[in-house]
Amino acid sequence: MPFEIFEHTADLGLRVRADDLNTLMADAARGLFSMIVSDLDSVRPSESIPIAVKGEASELLLLDWLSELLYIYEVRRLLLSEFKVQVGPSGLVATAAGEPIDPARHALDHEVKAITYHGLKLEQRDGHWLAEVIVDI
Amino acid sequence: MPKEKFHGPLERIDAVSWRIPKSYRAGMRVDGIVYASDELIGSIREDQALEQVANVAFLPGIQVASLAMPDIHWGYGFCIGGVCATDPDEGGVISPGGVGYDINCGVRLVRSNLTKRDVEPVQTRLVEELYRQVPTGTGRGGKYRFSPAELRRLMGEGVGFLAGRGLAVESDLEHTEARGRLPGAQPDYVSGRALERGYDQCGTLGSGNHFLEVQFVDSIHDAAAARAMGLAKDMVVVLIHSGSRGLGYQVCDDALKMLRGAPAKYGIELPDRQLVCAPIESLEGRQYIGAMCAAANFAWCNRQLLMWQTRECFETIFGRPWQELGMSLVYDVAHNIAKLEEHAVGSKQKRLWVHRKGATRAFPPNHPETPDAYRAIGQPVIIPGDMGRASWVLVGQEGSMQRTFGTACHGAGRLMSRTAAVKHAQGRRIDRELAARGVIARARSWKGLAEEQPAAYKDVDLVVEVVHQAGLAKKVARLRPIGVIKG
Repeated sequence: MPFEIFEHTADLGLRVRADDLNTLMADAARGLFSMIVSDLDSVRPSESIPIAVKGEASELLLLDWLSELLYIYEVRRLLLSEFKVQVGPSGLVATAAGEPIDPARHALDHEVKAITYHGLKLEQRDGHWLAEVIVDI
Repeated sequence: MPKEKFHGPLERIDAVSWRIPKSYRAGMRVDGIVYASDELIGSIREDQALEQVANVAFLPGIQVASLAMPDIHWGYGFCIGGVCATDPDEGGVISPGGVGYDINCGVRLVRSNLTKRDVEPVQTRLVEELYRQVPTGTGRGGKYRFSPAELRRLMGEGVGFLAGRGLAVESDLEHTEARGRLPGAQPDYVSGRALERGYDQCGTLGSGNHFLEVQFVDSIHDAAAARAMGLAKDMVVVLIHSGSRGLGYQVCDDALKMLRGAPAKYGIELPDRQLVCAPIESLEGRQYIGAMCAAANFAWCNRQLLMWQTRECFETIFGRPWQELGMSLVYDVAHNIAKLEEHAVGSKQKRLWVHRKGATRAFPPNHPETPDAYRAIGQPVIIPGDMGRASWVLVGQEGSMQRTFGTACHGAGRLMSRTAAVKHAQGRRIDRELAARGVIARARSWKGLAEEQPAAYKDVDLVVEVVHQAGLAKKVARLRPIGVIKG
């Protein structure tokens, strides 16, 4: 499992493991949307959008990336399920694919209010990447 | 950061309060003080909430103690149920984490002339009408739309703006904390992104622990105070819990980003990045305060429009105007906010910024900020419990000014994590279980309902007993749910 939800009393934690940073960012994005929609597989990747987030490759880039997705979801009512991410020295560029919310097909679980800094972690260990983030529900 | 038990020192002060001494960790400027009974303290030790009480004690300018109410549980940055007062004259800081993402999340209580018996025959119809008309859940906008220019006016003028549009009456303003408008609001400090998120969200409930409940008055504990609030046994009331929606979350997010460099710039050492802060008198501090007050005014407008739609639903079901149904606002109070207030510290009167993160203001009788109608009894304190058991109405007492900067608890407080609650539910139909207890529940998400099931919360009666015993607020009425809508 590239991502898992871990226990936090009031909110939800997301833990992601990947072999490289690009995959980690993409899996973290899928993890975020898996909290919003019950079945991520119900989201068809019919609409594709480019996204760019500036910043050094650190845990803050992860936070800014997920916050950007949350903003896009809320303002455009777009559920996203597929991500291609390229992390560079000054930020990341990505393509995200999904479709507008269709209440007939998409069961929604949570309103994620925000991505928090509490316990935020991004680290490389033994050639693998690990990230933890707690989201406000 | 997985869930871990608190192993730090916790000394008993009296039957309802405990101290984490400032000697616990280098950098703590004051003690931590937690209000809890013996029954509650065990579960409070189970996660990192107490560590968060200690963390808040690091904030520059903090006065007296880092405080926590009996509904304390593990949050992000501040614990939920946390109170911290800072003095601008002593380098005091303002911290967005001490308010939370959901700026001015709060509750409002609406009374009626209806009794439980009047509602019983239409109980399901009423709940379904509310569920149809009041937008709940994620990804849904409401029927009220506001352009950026209108939103700026709304945030500047607060609920008065809605009164100008025929969506609020004078008595609604009178019975809202601060008359639904913080004068420090600076709508120009609110970003375009926040305005985009707020466009169709004023008048929507949201999800998570937000709810709209139809309840009845189960028992009266202070007859005079209940009379002053227009409450009587078996009366049907409506309790609404929501905040500033996406607009407020974005304001907090923007502030945290703006403040990333502030601790280094101002030489502030913090044990948790979520506590990021700036001196109140700094440019960054003033900017956050202006935007936070604007978002708080948006939140009051949100709860006003939620109440307005509720009145419309009751009109549809009962075929009479809401005024004839006696659906006046009892009170609306914030529980995620920072406010400039006057408090005594030792022998000095000070103007302090009081952060309440999941904590309710509880001013005593005769306080100048308590509305005229409640001057003699104290400010109403509305404490939602869980959707199966009970909620409470209290009034602030003098002890709150002496002990907690005029504050009481804000709810029951979570006992189980969200993941544990879902496991505990194991696919059970929570809505059917509630129906068996006489509560009609409608929610967009099974998981949401499972996470919010009664067993996930502490017993609100025990929590309220602590603030009553500690002299922070006095019990007035216990309410029981008969209908609930959620996200």
